[in-house]
Amino acid sequence: MKKLISKILMGVAMLASSACTKTDNYPGPNASFQGNIISSVGGNLPTSGGSTQIWMQQIGWTAPQTIPSKFDGTFEDTKLFSGGYKVLPTGGAFWPIYDTVTVNLGQGTKHDFTVTPYLVIKNFTATLSGTTLTLTYDIDAPVVAGLPTIKDTQPYVNTTQLVGTGASIRDFSDANAVTINKDFIDMTASDKSMTLTVPNLIPGRTFFVRVGVRLNDSYNSSNFSNIIQIDVPK
Amino acid sequence: MKSIKKLIIAISIATGALVTSCQKLDMPPKNIFTSDVIFNSQAGIQSFLATIYQNLPIEDFKYNPSTNDGAASPAGFLHGGNDWMEFFNEASTTGEEVGPYGGMDIASGFGFWPYGDIRNVNIMIAELPKHTAALTPAGVDALLGEAHFLRAYYYFGLAKRYGGVPIITTVQDPGAPLATLQVHRDKEQAVWDFIGAELDLGYKMMPATSDAGRANKYVAAALKSRAMLYAACVAKYGSVNFVDGQAVTSGFAGIPASAATGYFQAAYDAAKLLDGVYSLYTANPDKVQNYVDLFLKPSPENIFIKQYSTANNTAHSWDDTMSPRYFTANALTRSYPTLDLVQLWGNLQITNPDGTPKRFDNYAQLMQGLEPRLLATIYFPGATLRGLTFDVQRGIYPSFNGTAADEVAKPANSRTYILGSDDNAQLYQGYQIVGHTGIWSKGSDEVTRTGFYVRKYIDYTKAKESVNLNTSTTPWIDLRYAEVLLNRAEAAVELGNSADALTSINLIRDRAGAGLYGSIDLTKVRNERRMELAFENQYFWDLKRWRTGDVVLDKAHFKGLMPYFVLNENKYIFLAEPELFNREYTFQKQFYYEPIPGGEIANNPNLLPNNPGL
Repeated sequence: MKKLISKILMGVAMLASSACTKTDNYPGPNASFQGNIISSVGGNLPTSGGSTQIWMQQIGWTAPQTIPSKFDGTFEDTKLFSGGYKVLPTGGAFWPIYDTVTVNLGQGTKHDFTVTPYLVIKNFTATLSGTTLTLTYDIDAPVVAGLPTIKDTQPYVNTTQLVGTGASIRDFSDANAVTINKDFIDMTASDKSMTLTVPNLIPGRTFFVRVGVRLNDSYNSSNFSNIIQIDVPK
Repeated sequence: MKSIKKLIIAISIATGALVTSCQKLDMPPKNIFTSDVIFNSQAGIQSFLATIYQNLPIEDFKYNPSTNDGAASPAGFLHGGNDWMEFFNEASTTGEEVGPYGGMDIASGFGFWPYGDIRNVNIMIAELPKHTAALTPAGVDALLGEAHFLRAYYYFGLAKRYGGVPIITTVQDPGAPLATLQVHRDKEQAVWDFIGAELDLGYKMMPATSDAGRANKYVAAALKSRAMLYAACVAKYGSVNFVDGQAVTSGFAGIPASAATGYFQAAYDAAKLLDGVYSLYTANPDKVQNYVDLFLKPSPENIFIKQYSTANNTAHSWDDTMSPRYFTANALTRSYPTLDLVQLWGNLQITNPDGTPKRFDNYAQLMQGLEPRLLATIYFPGATLRGLTFDVQRGIYPSFNGTAADEVAKPANSRTYILGSDDNAQLYQGYQIVGHTGIWSKGSDEVTRTGFYVRKYIDYTKAKESVNLNTSTTPWIDLRYAEVLLNRAEAAVELGNSADALTSINLIRDRAGAGLYGSIDLTKVRNERRMELAFENQYFWDLKRWRTGDVVLDKAHFKGLMPYFVLNENKYIFLAEPELFNREYTFQKQFYYEPIPGGEIANNPNLLPNNPGL
């Protein structure tokens, strides 16, 4: 019996040592891709979670992948396989781009995309009176013809600088949305000058606030303002 | 040692003797069913058909549309012996119910790709004409009609999920060159037209009657009314509300708006074929009991059903997992009808004109005067089952002043109610705080979070001890005449034929015990459909074809009906409050089509471009 066991063990040892001699000689995902999504009216496009992303497909492969944009309109992925990719910004509140760009990804590849936003939010101000925050802003459209219907507008309030869709306090944000359902072309000057109020903020807390205007495009996407910090006094 | 040598000699002699017996082998293999065995007898064909029927994409009790949130894996069309989690259902993502899903978790699908089953149907269609001698020409025709129906059913399951898919009508040879096997997507319109044509063949070739669970010509017509209505809506509403992309411009996702009228007409015509053949179930003059029995007893309304059996290990668990433990031998519930669904029937009278909650002497009083169909679809607080009462109660108010709206708007910690934990023996001044059937203070995965339970399809005749997992054999009614009437009414309204729609809708409302309508419009037809077909796995697809999913389910939250006991008055009140998990449901526009499964694209890159937004 002991002999048998030792023979089996020897066999196992031989098999184990002879296996796995091949080494993986493919390069790891050592390429990176970063850049800015630039708004055609100046600066980076302000974005939010679950909206703008860089769609990319490696040439010769069928499954596309995406890099989500950061809130400041930049993007970065440092774990990509080097090679040729077709890339495209998609999913955000800007005029759709259909023509892909081909980039050859290696270490530290940079590329900036320029997009035309549906709407631009200007003159964003926030005034605090007691615990009620009043937000005013104007909207403008770089291109009016064919613009998707404007659905609604709402504040986004959060306790961190990551504030936007999916990153906001519902009672202060979604609950204070205002329905619009109008086409930009039919809006009067006063329609385009908007006011939102956020009542009952908590005294002694710091909040980060921005506003968004949502359109009825393919993704129900929103254009966003910049982010303002609000300190509610005790 | 000697004996081993003897053994070796014996074996060599025996082997030698056997080797000499070489003969030519020209007999049919005994371990393989040849096509003659299968297709030369009805019994053989039935066994072949059994698999095809079993795999039909029927969204029944066990249909489990997602693997998310701990649901069964694999998801989809389940037909095993232990697919017991019936609360992982479509209804609990659409607001008909709230359930175990954390949100809209079912929209990207589970990789449905039934080309193996379609191949079986294609084999049948190719083989049957060779067996007219054994089956008679008429017999072959009837079976061919059935095969065309089955093929249409599979393609309908594909088309409503993906839009355009490859139409395969031949038995592909696995040895053929790869290029001929990697078939391109057909346009969405071509797939719907194919489904319509297949069902026409089914209608033409099949007999008028069939065994339960098998198709006949009217089953084909009924399915056609459902499928063509879907196509018509894709054309009409999908051409307005869509996600831009290459699949749209290539016609793989979407149909030109101009085709809508033709499809609506086809849906209407198909539905009309069932006129006078089937009828609504009206056996019991008690309208509540009648509507309950419609789902439990054989009826002239059933067009196509799916059966279950404990002997074959295919029974389901609807009775055990849609009612709480209080009424069953074990297990728990996890999905519950919403107040939002109930209010399709009109607002419940729970508030006085001055805004204060109406006081009730008991919970059952609320049900007085409600539509019989509503009471037969949903168990209200105070209703009874198997001799026990739905004693749903969220808590006790020592006293209650002011309006319902003010009370509900207060932060939870400044409300003066007494809530109970999960312990239903907990007392407050001698009164039980929470019922055996809920509601626990923070909501739960065992008893209701909305105050309601599903009643449709619940078999009240079973004894409590026998309501166990995998023991329910109530058939699933896949196609019933009420749906055909609703299909017909919707198509009629879309075609401008209101008079016909009004007749159909009033037939349904009469049976439901509802007041008859004097006039009709599209909103009324759609709401009637939601009420009549609640929990029947229709509304999710209605939201998709009407292209209203992204509007109705836009950061949607749903409500429950919370019953409380007011101690100092010895009365009961109901407050409309958010369901206790207060989950959010958002249907994005790219959900109108599911992505073609990634594995299939890897096998066949010609399936690209994939559906919009993906």
